[in-house]
Amino acid sequence: MTARGQWELPRRELLKGGGALVLYFTISPARLVAQEIAPSPPPPPELPGSLSEFPFLDAWIRIDSDEAITVFTGKAELGQGIRTALTQVAAEQLKVDFSRIKLLTADTAQTPNEGYTAASHSMEKSGTAILHAAAYLRRMMIGLAAEELGIAADNLRVEDGVVISSAGERRSYGQLVSGKSLHVTVEDQTGAFAPENYTVMGQSVPRVDIPGKLTGEPSYVHDVRLERMVHGRIVRPPRSGARLVNLDTSNVDQMPGVLNVVRDGNYLGVIAEGRRFKRPPSGKEALRCRPIPVSTIISCNCRQTAA
Amino acid sequence: MITLRVNGSTLETDSDPETPLLYVLRNDMELNGAKFGCGLGQCGSCTVLVDNMPIFSCLTPIAMLADRDITTLEGLGSIDAPGPVQRAFIEEQAAQCGYCIPGMIIRAHALLMRNSAPDEAAIRDALEPSLCRCGTHMRILRAVRRASEGFQEQTSAARERNR
Repeated sequence: MTARGQWELPRRELLKGGGALVLYFTISPARLVAQEIAPSPPPPPELPGSLSEFPFLDAWIRIDSDEAITVFTGKAELGQGIRTALTQVAAEQLKVDFSRIKLLTADTAQTPNEGYTAASHSMEKSGTAILHAAAYLRRMMIGLAAEELGIAADNLRVEDGVVISSAGERRSYGQLVSGKSLHVTVEDQTGAFAPENYTVMGQSVPRVDIPGKLTGEPSYVHDVRLERMVHGRIVRPPRSGARLVNLDTSNVDQMPGVLNVVRDGNYLGVIAEGRRFKRPPSGKEALRCRPIPVSTIISCNCRQTAA
Repeated sequence: MITLRVNGSTLETDSDPETPLLYVLRNDMELNGAKFGCGLGQCGSCTVLVDNMPIFSCLTPIAMLADRDITTLEGLGSIDAPGPVQRAFIEEQAAQCGYCIPGMIIRAHALLMRNSAPDEAAIRDALEPSLCRCGTHMRILRAVRRASEGFQEQTSAARERNR
């Protein structure tokens, strides 16, 4: 609440006293007037990182009754090491061993949609969300254990996902979370461990994705193989500025395995079943209609125009 | 029908004889190690060994490979039992995106089989056809030097045994 109070005052001050200044930056004078007459209520303090868009705890962390811990991120591992770094953040703030956390990255069905993985935003946005979600969850677990055991939270500590009382009573996260909903807003961001107390974050940890990438485990989009997956290929023109003038797909449509030829202006692509494409056609080959397996797919007439 | 011998197992394939090896490895055999990078033999991410010599699998038609010994990244070790070069790369954390590394490991392996104590120039020369755009080069070089120590220990141990 103090944060909101601090926020309100300077904003009102600005609106009252800084009208001339605001005018410089406002496109619509009508909007400025409206603001002066009836200042809109200040927005609630924005949740940090990607919590601002996905404020619910269960968007970031799932704990199953069998003690499995899954952390979700909408950012993708691109070799920048976020699988490892985000797991460190979760392990630190949950007080759970690093190796016990399963991190799920950029799964459209399961993780928050955090947009692009770019511009060094993964730790700032996703890392911040996971940090606060994990800290909130840890404190929630301590609260539940305190309730169950009928003792003050101060007498409880967490070791590798188990809340332990000073008398030695133990309640695991899995036990505590059983029957509880984690669909709650991560509204309190005061519980995270401070940097001086970090034991996992900031440590140099071997990257978890490297062994798989160096031994041929499926690690890239190219390694995804789905049932009934079809393949598309773009037929590229011989050079920039070339226009696709004429296209005859009659012989292509008859070919076994070809599902569709897609044309959108100068853009041309073929969709076919499975492994029909036995070698990559270069645009040149395809458009010159040389007798190679793929180029026979499309007979076309391409006239180049000066760029 | 062409018979291919990959990592010790045999595959009969009715693919077009001019199909590049990479397509058979990735699509038919579902091996992920060799990568499609440029498809033009310019980046080295598709490199595999044929009779212990590194080749670009994206350019090499299977017609040329009947009854030759083909080794891919998977043939050098697995995630549970990585080979000596893979182990050295893991220990040195010599990968950023990791896409070029299978080719680097294959080339380093071929080099160390020929010469277990290569000097810096020989290592650089052997890896030259593989491109890394992340900029992991110094770690890659360290990993090959580390792997070379492993190979030398192996060689001297073998020499001891044969004495």
